[in-house]
Amino acid sequence: MGRTWASMDEFEAFLDDGGTVEADDEMPDDYRQAVFAFIEMHANSELMGGLTERDWIPRTPGLRHKMAVLAKTQDEIGHGHLLYMVAADMGLKTRREMLEDLFAGRSKFHNVFHYRAATWGDQVAISFLVDAAALASQQAVFKNCSYGPYRRILKRIIAEEGFHMRMGEERMMLIAEGTNFQQAMFQQSLDNWWWPALQLFGPDSKPDDVLLRWHIKSERNEVLRARWVQKFAPMLISYGFTIPDPGLVHDAEADTWTAGPIDWEPLKRTLAMGGPDSARRIGEAAANWADTRWVREAMDNAPDRAAGAPA
Amino acid sequence: MTSIPTVEAVRAAVATVDDPEYPGISIVDLGLLESVEVRPDGDVVVGLVPTFSGCPALAMIAEDVRAAVAAIGGLTGPRVDVRWLSGPAWTVERLTGTARRTMAEEFTVAVRIGAGPVPCPRCGGDTAEESMFGPSRCRAVHVCHSCTEVVEVMRA
Repeated sequence: MGRTWASMDEFEAFLDDGGTVEADDEMPDDYRQAVFAFIEMHANSELMGGLTERDWIPRTPGLRHKMAVLAKTQDEIGHGHLLYMVAADMGLKTRREMLEDLFAGRSKFHNVFHYRAATWGDQVAISFLVDAAALASQQAVFKNCSYGPYRRILKRIIAEEGFHMRMGEERMMLIAEGTNFQQAMFQQSLDNWWWPALQLFGPDSKPDDVLLRWHIKSERNEVLRARWVQKFAPMLISYGFTIPDPGLVHDAEADTWTAGPIDWEPLKRTLAMGGPDSARRIGEAAANWADTRWVREAMDNAPDRAAGAPA
Repeated sequence: MTSIPTVEAVRAAVATVDDPEYPGISIVDLGLLESVEVRPDGDVVVGLVPTFSGCPALAMIAEDVRAAVAAIGGLTGPRVDVRWLSGPAWTVERLTGTARRTMAEEFTVAVRIGAGPVPCPRCGGDTAEESMFGPSRCRAVHVCHSCTEVVEVMRA
């Protein structure tokens, strides 16, 4: 119970040896802060993603895909819930404080949720490209994440995200084999979403990135990004689509695909809450929170359910 | 040349299919397999029960089962019909010990059987329900009183 470390050096040696930090350990403040901020941003992103997904429940074509979108909405909101619990347990902010910060535009969420999903083609691009990028970065965290409670939650999240990605792949193939109109719609979505999805990995990791040093993440941003380009550029091209990157280079001999120069300005704007859809998204999330107040009050005032008893 | 698979071979093939949301747990251990029928002409009918009727993974699971049965060695592709049955209803009692162990050890997921507190898969302490619903319709969210672990609980 509750281990302590005499110094940062000792703590880092523990992490380098593959040690796992648990919620009741006396971890250094900087580590606690770094892990907390990381989980909070993940939780916010799940919630913001779930709310976008929800918007598509009535608009999704076909019962089967509608069911999948319904379930994915519950997945994302559920993941956010689990992550907020783990984050709150670190003692820096309560769940309510985290939500209030999110709705006031004071805390971060992933860049991709600062853009508008305007067509079904956009939704397909998101479930195919963005989910893959999110999954790849979660896997890089999960592999050796030094914070135990987060790693264990990630295992379940990743299993479910893998399922979303399979759905995304299926949707992409369906639209690729669709009518000219559908193909043109998807190309437009690809033009809109390729760069935001690629930027989800963030700029190159700095040499002194504490997330890497403290084994919160196990792979560098640029490595994950390059692997994603290597996978998706040839796949989309083989389906007849164009990658909106004039600098994309294919080395035919080594069969490698490398992205051209990246303009990071759009990412910076989203992080400053100045993305194309940031204000509307945050406003919708805040309105949703206000609209559902009666549910929380009803739950709070419900007769207490005995611990662990069936509801 | 046609050949007829045995019921055992079909069962074994179905057992190689994992749940899409629980990699490493077979759908047979999850209790989804209800019946296998091999017709005299070699056609196969596999009857499955869903955990929840609105489960979004049904089509994917059926597709995986069809592929697994069609790939049984030495056969010239039996025709496979996968049916989602409307009964009997799936309950947590259908989970095998293997499924429960893997859920607890690999996914920190507990299973609610009967009344009383659900023990934490990590430390064995009592957990309390935090929410009736988690990321999936078949799971609630609990929190452990002893080790503060966030636990998902599979329920009928």
